[in-house]
Amino acid sequence: MANTIAESNDTRLASQSMLRSLLANQIAGVFGILIVMIIVSHFLSPTFLTGYNLTIIMRALAFAGIVALGQCLLLILGELDLSIGAIAGLCAVVGGMLMVQAKIDPFMAFAICLLLGVLCGFINGMLIAGLRLNALVATIGMTGIYAGINLVATQGRAITGIPQSILFLGKGDIAGIPVPFMFLIAVAIIITVVALCTPFGRYIYAIGNNREAAQMLGIKVNKVRVICFMIAGLLASLAGMLMVARLGSAQPSIGNVWVMASIAAPVIGGVATTGGVGNPLGALIGAAIIGVIENVIVLLGVSPYWQTIVSGAIVVLAISFDSIHRNFMKKGS
Amino acid sequence: MALLKAQGVVKTFPGVVALNNVNLTIRPGTIHCILGENGAGKSTLVKVLTGVYVPDKGEVIIDGDNALQHPQSFSKVAYVPQELSLFPEMTVAENLFMPFAKSGINGALVTGARLNQAALPHLERFHIEVSPRALVKNISISEQQLLQIARALTNRSAEVLILDEPTTSLTEQETERLFRIVRRLKDEKHSVVFISHKLEEIYALGDEITVMRNGEQVASAPIGEMTQRQLIVHMSGRDFDLDETFRPESPRGKPLLEVKNLSGSGFQDIDFTLYEGEILGFAGLIGAGRSEIMQTIFGFLPEKSGEVTLNGKRWKFRDTNASMKNGLVYLPEERKHHGILPLLSVRQNIGISVLGETTKGFLISSAKEAEIARQIITLYEVKTSSDEKRIVFLSGGNQQKIIIGRNMRGQPKVLIFDEPTKGIDVKTKADIYRIMKELAERERVGIILVSSEMKELLRCSNRVVAVYHGRKTGEFDTGTTSAPEIVSAIIGAEGVHHG
Repeated sequence: MANTIAESNDTRLASQSMLRSLLANQIAGVFGILIVMIIVSHFLSPTFLTGYNLTIIMRALAFAGIVALGQCLLLILGELDLSIGAIAGLCAVVGGMLMVQAKIDPFMAFAICLLLGVLCGFINGMLIAGLRLNALVATIGMTGIYAGINLVATQGRAITGIPQSILFLGKGDIAGIPVPFMFLIAVAIIITVVALCTPFGRYIYAIGNNREAAQMLGIKVNKVRVICFMIAGLLASLAGMLMVARLGSAQPSIGNVWVMASIAAPVIGGVATTGGVGNPLGALIGAAIIGVIENVIVLLGVSPYWQTIVSGAIVVLAISFDSIHRNFMKKGS
Repeated sequence: MALLKAQGVVKTFPGVVALNNVNLTIRPGTIHCILGENGAGKSTLVKVLTGVYVPDKGEVIIDGDNALQHPQSFSKVAYVPQELSLFPEMTVAENLFMPFAKSGINGALVTGARLNQAALPHLERFHIEVSPRALVKNISISEQQLLQIARALTNRSAEVLILDEPTTSLTEQETERLFRIVRRLKDEKHSVVFISHKLEEIYALGDEITVMRNGEQVASAPIGEMTQRQLIVHMSGRDFDLDETFRPESPRGKPLLEVKNLSGSGFQDIDFTLYEGEILGFAGLIGAGRSEIMQTIFGFLPEKSGEVTLNGKRWKFRDTNASMKNGLVYLPEERKHHGILPLLSVRQNIGISVLGETTKGFLISSAKEAEIARQIITLYEVKTSSDEKRIVFLSGGNQQKIIIGRNMRGQPKVLIFDEPTKGIDVKTKADIYRIMKELAERERVGIILVSSEMKELLRCSNRVVAVYHGRKTGEFDTGTTSAPEIVSAIIGAEGVHHG
């Protein structure tokens, strides 16, 4: 009798593994979607595939993309940080103040702000891993605190007069490629290598898969969690500082709209909202898909207010696919 | 007249006959005990009697009605599970009357005062000595249990009460109080079905007894007509066909793990010694404290007192990492919860344990990882189409082989297997046994095998330690021991095997 169970399991497993191999190449699939969207966009708007427009897209998606790569690690870990937009904003205005009011060397100020981002991530991580707070609620609360400090410090006014020497980080090009986009690619490569090829990356996946098993294997679970929040904070502040260099001023509103995209991009790219699965490259491609959609909306002359609706719809659609996919897999096993 | 009757009940699950032709008669005003090892079919039977499962064959008659045709008659049967289902953040009175309409609390406005007033007589009846305003999370387990019984009998006007191992977490006094209430229910012409492993409780309380084994009803009789000795033999089976045995045959070597007076959460004063090249079985009922003992030795749970010597060195309980570095490995019972990383591939599941071997500088060599994975797949005969397959798509037995394989890479000296063949088919079970035997004979490791299956323990272990209620109740040489002796020890029937 047991044999027949094993056999029926085997056939079912075989059919599942075919399905698996189709889904396994999720990155290729998502990349295919991006290509299709680029082709469709080309037919919708003749200006889409011009070199100038492509640099606009690259520059635009760099910021939310960098933030999304940090969020991506947290999602794989089974966590979430909703305050990374606020961390970006806080770091941006602190950077502006250091450069303009304290007249600190702009690159030194840049570095200090990166450390500030790490510190904010550390605080979030300690609250969540140390005090065992719920990540969602804790980071909503911390959003209020970081954004509040930002407003108290700036009174809501932008800090202008950022030194010229640092502006190329946001505005410049190298060989026609916008500098922020190069940062994005560099970050994407580093995060992907860390996630897929280092022991630390394996720990992230292990914890996201099964926290208790990870503990049993001797992985220092809470340490890994805190470090991931620190990485997310670091990347948020990097994006914030690049935005300061791009705008030439430190706006208190920097980062306000990044949180939604930071979650949407990894989810579109196949990172499960429940943790344990995904590839940072997927987050990068997801960010590119969002960038293309937002760009096309502008090119088609649709009211920018619609953009918000479209972005929201993408998030809901992406997590719906994620959930349908998961239920489908569950039915199989 | 029978109040509750099961006639010729058969229930099968894909590949398993969970209940085979069970005939049970529960008379009004009796306490009927059901006894059986884990997996004997007790909980399936309870689920049929309460209408959760529809049997494939047979009938359930409640108070003269065919309950399968009139499902509303199942409301006359109340079930109090081991895991209580109360609302911890609500008051005693709210829990008692939930859902309100069913318990005669009508009207749009249900005030606390009204509920508390209405609750008092019920609390008094069941000797529940807490305020109706108390939050359920703040009252003791014993009070919670009585509250659950009270709820079952108050708002569902049940006539049959099924209690599933109700005394597991109760003190002696609390058990006494429960028994008093159960006896009074009996006097009030309720019927009580009492599921337990503990012989003394069964003899103290029961009127009739049914013994289950492997989905079969092996015996049903008035309690006076069955001796303890007969009961134990019914439970364990007299003729134990062991088929092939897998006991290591090489001579045992030096002591590897010596445990003296170890106490921790859920167990006290445990003593045993594990030698090189042997398999030491740990027998006990679920909840007897076997896993807790092992997890404490492994450093996953804190110890209270005691002394452990590992491989000649005094061993301090620190963390799982230190244990593994010192050659002590624990393979947990719940593979799904503690063992595997379900969404990762076979290769990555192996890789997570061999990072020391595969990491050069900062980076993991996937090639080296795949090589080790393939070695393990070949060595332990893991059936998988590729090492890139997600581990959840492998059968339980193959998952277990991978867990064993990856742990053996670190060349441990002591391996603790906690229920290693739970949910694994017969053929793969034999594979796992063979692997354990070979590890003991060739690699000279010492193996502890925690198992709830008597047959498995007898087939694989050289010696068996019996644990009952967190204490060691015996140590047996399997060459000279029969199953009933070990079963006596794990159900706390001391001295039975002498008589």
